[in-house]
Amino acid sequence: MAQAQPEDKATYDQGAKLFKGNCASCHKVDKDMVGPALQGARARWEGKGDIHEWVKNSSAYIKTGNSYAKEIFDKWKGSVMTAQALSNEEIDAILYFADNQAAPVAEKPAAGAPVATAPRTTSNWPWLVVIALLLLVVGLSLSGVKRSLSNAVREAEGQEPLPDRGILHGLGQWAWKNKIFASIIGLFIVVFLTLKMWDAAWVIGVYGGEEVEHYKPEQPILFNHTLHAGKADKGNLAIDCQYCHSGAEKSRHAGIPSTNVCMNCHKAVDTGRNTGTTEIAKIYAAVGWDPDKQEYTGKQEPVRWVKVHNLPDHAYFNHSQHVAVGKLECQECHGPIDEQMDVAEQWAPLTMGWCIECHNTKEVKMAGNGYYDEVMARLEDSDMGHEELKKYLEDDKISVKELGGWECAKCHY
Amino acid sequence: MSTIQRTPVLTLGILSLMAMGMASCGGDPNSPGMEYMPDMYRSPAVEAYVDYGQDPYYFTEDTARVQRDRPSAKLPPEGTIAFAEDPTKVAFHMPYPYANTNEGYEAAGLGLKSPIAMTEATVAQGKVIYDKFCDHCHGAKGEGDGSVVNNGGHPPPGSYTTVLKNIPEGKIFHVITYGKGMMGAHASQLDKEERWLVVQYVKYLQNGGRMTSEAAGDSTALATTPNPAVN
Repeated sequence: MAQAQPEDKATYDQGAKLFKGNCASCHKVDKDMVGPALQGARARWEGKGDIHEWVKNSSAYIKTGNSYAKEIFDKWKGSVMTAQALSNEEIDAILYFADNQAAPVAEKPAAGAPVATAPRTTSNWPWLVVIALLLLVVGLSLSGVKRSLSNAVREAEGQEPLPDRGILHGLGQWAWKNKIFASIIGLFIVVFLTLKMWDAAWVIGVYGGEEVEHYKPEQPILFNHTLHAGKADKGNLAIDCQYCHSGAEKSRHAGIPSTNVCMNCHKAVDTGRNTGTTEIAKIYAAVGWDPDKQEYTGKQEPVRWVKVHNLPDHAYFNHSQHVAVGKLECQECHGPIDEQMDVAEQWAPLTMGWCIECHNTKEVKMAGNGYYDEVMARLEDSDMGHEELKKYLEDDKISVKELGGWECAKCHY
Repeated sequence: MSTIQRTPVLTLGILSLMAMGMASCGGDPNSPGMEYMPDMYRSPAVEAYVDYGQDPYYFTEDTARVQRDRPSAKLPPEGTIAFAEDPTKVAFHMPYPYANTNEGYEAAGLGLKSPIAMTEATVAQGKVIYDKFCDHCHGAKGEGDGSVVNNGGHPPPGSYTTVLKNIPEGKIFHVITYGKGMMGAHASQLDKEERWLVVQYVKYLQNGGRMTSEAAGDSTALATTPNPAVN
């Protein structure tokens, strides 16, 4: 059935073109999808009815009482095929194409497919400290054991045991003898530890930004943001962020897409570019989809996504205010998520300093924005407002701070 | 007679444990790290997308485990009608009367008409939504050549200029609401007003990137100025 070269190239090409335009959204050549596989369809219909009439208008053909038509209709759970305005010759061409389609060439990965993740650079000094401390513990224990043993020997020989002086005692005696040196070292140690602690205290609860390693938790499904949202000319799918995070413009939360959104594409795409079928099978398990029977089983199990951006409850943040009103791009806070982030990570520090820095410097896009039209109207209503506006515009822009973006109660209430 | 130095051994043991603790906070991208005052991170008032189970020392481990198993994102109760802030838009919040069946599809095609008159403004609004929610499969001009089809191997949807050229607006709305064939339901992403705005833009694309004739009757100038973004 699969031939390298179809005999009638012209008909084959015509059929291929028509198939792509008219049939491919529901039929595959060699596999059942919404409708049956088209390969061998002509043979299946042989002697049972008129396949041309069936393709042109399947509902009308069922009404003629053809039993095979009824059988197919029932088998595909009553989904009606859209009537096709095609001539007999065109239908023949499509079926010729389907019956003679060459075996698909192994798909090459698209150019510019997402590169493998760069190895993570994790600092290993804490482990060195741990190892050093453990060695110290072992050494001290051994010296203790040694002293016990030598005391036992002395006792056996009838001598007084050695005076029990710990390492701290020894250290104290040494420090007493070298007071100046010891105090300088002590001072250095104290200052060093204090500075370290001070620095460390500033990044408690900070999981993004330049100073700390970004929080990048492992997710239950290896969803690749770059592949899905990256630019089309780099071989990615260029799906808009809001297709999945559709709450960003309307709600406080951008939202984690429910699995029905995944299924809008993955009903058809069951093999991933990088992970094969394993990860997409997890979506099927979660949403309860049987890819063999092409139907929902009703057995659902929510996906336990791990939340990446954890803002404390005492700070209020609203996505719609920033996306719909402020017209910010997602990447301004979430980083190059569509270019170099296979796994989502917290890019911005999300500290209060980071918030108010942007509120202080960012120019508000006042023009053509219903929300700010009202603000402007109120400012221009009074002389006092005019004075205020003049003050705001001293640096030729209106910042969020000038419109109240630094008021405590904007975010803390 | 026990002369082994217990104190420094114990102290150093504790220190090394602490260092290990620090190491696990600092180096593990899976750990959300330390928090100041966790009770200020998670208030007793339940919020969406907050994993209260992350906080086993504020509640108990048992409570935390139960909470961890309870999804915070939930479906609204069946039959819920969203609150309409704008009273002129109440109609958009009413339940959709056509069933998700072949009969419902045909009936919607005959009986369902857009409540929004086509104007340049509504088409522009529709285009914004179309670009976010439809473009990647249906393509910029609706010819079934979006990036998910070209780069992702998804079967191509029919083109608005050929096979889907004459599909009526009621059917378009019905399909966005429930899905059809390989297309999934988009009702969870788009509310009814947004769906009707998308329908406007699809009609515009079906008409070859021009306003439809009834709208063109109101403003003939629009019909002769094709949208530059489309052509």
